[in-house]
Amino acid sequence: MNLTLEIITPEKVVYKNEIDELVAPTVNGQIAILPNHVGLITKIIPGELIIRKANSQQAVAVTGGFLEVAKNHISILADYAIRAEDIEVAKAMEAQKRAEKLMAEKTSEHDFRVAQADLIKAITELRVATKYKRKASRPTEV
Amino acid sequence: MAGIIIIKRRIQTAFNVSKTTKAMQMIATSKLKRAQSSAISSRPYVDKLMFLTQTLTNKLDEKDRSDYMKEPKDVSETLLLVFSPDKGLCGGLITNLTKELLNQDKIQKNIRYITVGKKIENTTARLGKEIVASFNFGTTLPIFDMVYPMAKIIDDYFLNKKVGNVKILYSHFLNVFSQSPRVETILPIKLQESKEDKTEESPFTLFEPNPQEILPSLLRHYLEMVLYQYLLESYASEQAARMVAMKSATENAQEIIDYLKLEYNKQRQEEITNEILDIGSGSAAYAYE
Repeated sequence: MNLTLEIITPEKVVYKNEIDELVAPTVNGQIAILPNHVGLITKIIPGELIIRKANSQQAVAVTGGFLEVAKNHISILADYAIRAEDIEVAKAMEAQKRAEKLMAEKTSEHDFRVAQADLIKAITELRVATKYKRKASRPTEV
Repeated sequence: MAGIIIIKRRIQTAFNVSKTTKAMQMIATSKLKRAQSSAISSRPYVDKLMFLTQTLTNKLDEKDRSDYMKEPKDVSETLLLVFSPDKGLCGGLITNLTKELLNQDKIQKNIRYITVGKKIENTTARLGKEIVASFNFGTTLPIFDMVYPMAKIIDDYFLNKKVGNVKILYSHFLNVFSQSPRVETILPIKLQESKEDKTEESPFTLFEPNPQEILPSLLRHYLEMVLYQYLLESYASEQAARMVAMKSATENAQEIIDYLKLEYNKQRQEEITNEILDIGSGSAAYAYE
């Protein structure tokens, strides 16, 4: 039986496809999910989802959410998710700087929270993007 | 002569009205685009979230269930949230909401209300109902922060067992031309009957770290997201209804202008004819002398 994965955010359905393996960061550490996994509900922390399908590998940055496994169907309800190839590094860096500045100024409790969330998002995006880019640009050995 | 001036004034009035309604139609159209996309794009997320929490209720043992999932005994009162626009001029939207509200009131006696939007607040107050809290809906796309105070009041009433369940009345956005009032139960969380046939779920579900740690944040998230989704739906419905209503108002005004112009020209022609006749008969009388 095949494993299907669905990543949904409030903005859109980010990913929906059959996969072979999923590696996800959870509150209890990184877990890998293979076909015929037992039913599971857990919380995701900001980090990188690795999707393996056949011989290819894909990375998706998430900023937290919930993960459910039921009968070979994984649903991830993410607050925010973006595929590694879609991340614009310059934009993420700018966002990080802006959030850091806002946090340093710390106008009010509410603004601080918003800035903190933005910062986590930017850092996660950057981490995934740089890792992915490095791998992609490495010359292939023959 | 008097008749012509009056018609001219009426044409001007109809023209002014059509200008206003046209402008309102265009504003609603531009707002609708954003409202529609945000309401529709978050639907799969909220649907999935609702399904997840609802099936979860069935999987958990009685003792593990959170307070959100338990139906309090011997409390018959209902807390009803009603979402309506702040402003009118949006066709039958508010009338339909009011009808549904009266309907709910008939079905169940002890309802307390939380109103969002001035229109429904006025109606509810006029009916002499108990309003727990009232919020403004605003005229721009609802922001997420609106949800927190609502969720806080709901928590207060539901978790302290002041009410037995929490329902919501909003206008569901079907498409641009049709929106319908709907009532949904948001608390306690339970499986909807229509989905019961496919509850052949895997018999065993792991919780990591454990249900007590996951559930509060998941259910809180559920409550907030569901409220926000209904806010978005209501907002999209409002803009769509206003756009359609203003479009038909503009068309009606145009029709009136056309009719009045015809009438104006007729009367003008008539007057000219009369004047010519006057001159004609005058000169004839002169010639006769």
